[in-house]
Amino acid sequence: MTGQPRRLRLLVPTRVRRSAREVGTRRIRWLLLVYGLVFLVMFGQLIMVQVVQGPEYADRSVRQRARIVDLPATRGRIYDRDGDVLATSVQAATVYADPRAYRPSQTPDGDHLPAAGDSRATAEALAPLLGVEAGDLRERLERDAHFVYLGRQLDWELGEQIRELGLPGVGILGEPRRVYPAGGLAAQIVGFTGIDGEGLQGLEAQFDAVLQGRPGMLAFEQAATGGLGIASGTRELEPSEPGTDVVLTLDRDIQFAAQQAAADAVAVNEAASASVVVLDVTTFEVLGMATAPSFDPSQRGQSDPGTWRNRAVTDVFEPGSTQKALTVAAAIEEGLVSADTITDSRASIEAGGKTFRDQHPFPGDRWTTGDIVERSSNVGTIEMAKQLGDDRLYHYLREFGYGAPTGVGFPGESSGLLMKPSDWWGTSLPTISIGQGVAVTLMQLASSYATLANDGVAITPRIVRGTVGEDGRLTPTASTGERRVVSSDTAAQVRSMLERAITGEHGTGSRAVVSGYSVAGKTGTARKPNPDTRGYSGEYVATFVGFAPVESPEIVVAVMVDEPQADFYGGTVAAPVFSEVMGAALSARRVVPDGGSRGLDEAMDAARLAGAEAAGMVDRPPGVRGPAEPRR
Amino acid sequence: MSALTAPRKRVLTERRQHHLEVVGEPQKRHTLLFALMIIAVLGGAVFGTVTLNALAAAHAVQARALDTQVGEAERVYAQLVADVAALEDPARIRAAALDLGLVPGGPGRHVHLDRNLPADGAVTELDNGRRAADPLKPVLSVER
Repeated sequence: MTGQPRRLRLLVPTRVRRSAREVGTRRIRWLLLVYGLVFLVMFGQLIMVQVVQGPEYADRSVRQRARIVDLPATRGRIYDRDGDVLATSVQAATVYADPRAYRPSQTPDGDHLPAAGDSRATAEALAPLLGVEAGDLRERLERDAHFVYLGRQLDWELGEQIRELGLPGVGILGEPRRVYPAGGLAAQIVGFTGIDGEGLQGLEAQFDAVLQGRPGMLAFEQAATGGLGIASGTRELEPSEPGTDVVLTLDRDIQFAAQQAAADAVAVNEAASASVVVLDVTTFEVLGMATAPSFDPSQRGQSDPGTWRNRAVTDVFEPGSTQKALTVAAAIEEGLVSADTITDSRASIEAGGKTFRDQHPFPGDRWTTGDIVERSSNVGTIEMAKQLGDDRLYHYLREFGYGAPTGVGFPGESSGLLMKPSDWWGTSLPTISIGQGVAVTLMQLASSYATLANDGVAITPRIVRGTVGEDGRLTPTASTGERRVVSSDTAAQVRSMLERAITGEHGTGSRAVVSGYSVAGKTGTARKPNPDTRGYSGEYVATFVGFAPVESPEIVVAVMVDEPQADFYGGTVAAPVFSEVMGAALSARRVVPDGGSRGLDEAMDAARLAGAEAAGMVDRPPGVRGPAEPRR
Repeated sequence: MSALTAPRKRVLTERRQHHLEVVGEPQKRHTLLFALMIIAVLGGAVFGTVTLNALAAAHAVQARALDTQVGEAERVYAQLVADVAALEDPARIRAAALDLGLVPGGPGRHVHLDRNLPADGAVTELDNGRRAADPLKPVLSVER
């Protein structure tokens, strides 16, 4: 017992001293351990944040501050040949809403938030401005969605008006809208776009890739709460490239005249439709191409989709007697006949086991080729076709452009119908030679007559003059090749005969005259095939195609009136339309008058005089020609 | 090789001996001045950075305002182009003309001058000395 306290006394100070040192050391070690652990935790967290989750956080950071704004490209305009705007784009206002603003919600903490607005009040405020039923708007505002359209592509001023209302959850977006300032002018040619700006019809669809341009992009950094962009942040701009403008060959004034005349023809003749094509003879550029009934692209939703079709290039019809000029041209080119060739006239002709006759038999014993064209004789034309034969007639028709698209550059162009000679049967040669059993588009017909007017040289017609890029320069459409179909002499002979078809005593196209100008052309009247049977229906197609002035042709106009009811002859239905359009076209193109043929009034006076003479009421004074009889 | 390296060592030793010199007391460093200078430089850098950032932000605001103006001007221009084209619509002009009581024109006529104007080189006196008809009153013809 006694040894223990002594030892304790001896040991206590030593242990105390050791303990203090050890404790200090131990504490430091513990502290270092704690520090080490904290450091390890922090280091681990650092590794976790920087390495393991680094890409995710970096991505989240970018998402929070990076903003990417799409820069839509401005769609190119469509101009007529003089730079008048046919289609352009303007900024429109699109009204949208976030329906979440119209229903109660919860915060992330679970607190209930009342609806920011009253859907009924908002709908009633917007209904008169948007022209929509308030009930319909309210239904949209109460949908379970984050975004609904309330109105698209409205007038910008209306959008501003709605913005000033400050309705909760309702916003305005700028959106390009395609507009057609001239309304229905050239509607079937220009076509239209969808609500998102994609070309759907006509040249808008055909040249969609050219017109739409390339959208751009602006990337910048912005605080997560919005506001201005971070000035020192990254900013990447890829500007949009505006679409290329397309310049057409159309002349707005001629196009209007053609549309007006076609619409009048439909109304006057109670026809199903009417089409007009106007071509420049020297370039084969389409100056006008109209179809009635038409439509207004801005209100196409209320129109019949059948009116969207450009019938002048998509629909085919039998050319009827307008075909005879081509048959005669082929015969002259082959040296079988000339304009002055005199042959024995015939009342009928046998071909393919069938007898063909003229509606008005030739009164004399001998006739010239010019007489055949002037009187539009079936018999005389078939006689020439028999001399030509199947292969040569087919060859010339193909050379004139039948049986293949003209290549005018319009979508959906038809090839027409022209069978190969190997598929012809007995009556094919005579019928095709007078324009039956063959079908063409009005563009093909106009192109074939333009070839005759252009001294026998055919050029691929075109409707697009060129494109205008960002530099403002016109890049012309690549010129297409020319091909000679008939000789210049042959073309001149046919032209003079076609003039007789209008000015001659027995010409069928006297109503096609244009005051002050000499005019040449040919009427055509054809029955329409019955789609249900192999025969013909009771409906007709009246056509007229011609050019002026005769000596130096500048303009070709082709007219087709489908299913006229009151009258159906080309000379009485289509020829007046030709006269009206040709007069307007010659005036618009500033073609110098060449004196011309007798006027319509003169022709009508002569017709009345001849009628009276025939009735034995008066004697015909010398120098006055007889009436023009309407004929197929 | 060894014969070449030996002289170099001697040269180095001599050089070191030549560079031995008496060094004075270490120069007194002004720690406070150095610290103030560092603070000033850092402060200037911060101030400059903040100033530049503020300027950039201010210009960003101006740029945004200009972008808005340009966008609005482009919108107005596009709208005006469309409005002008609509006003030039032949159908609208025709309707307006009919409302004004105008009637559709007849067939076009072209006027040909049978005699040149003075600007075209016409003279007032003929070669025979006789006075020509007044060239300022050319004979107009519509015969063609």
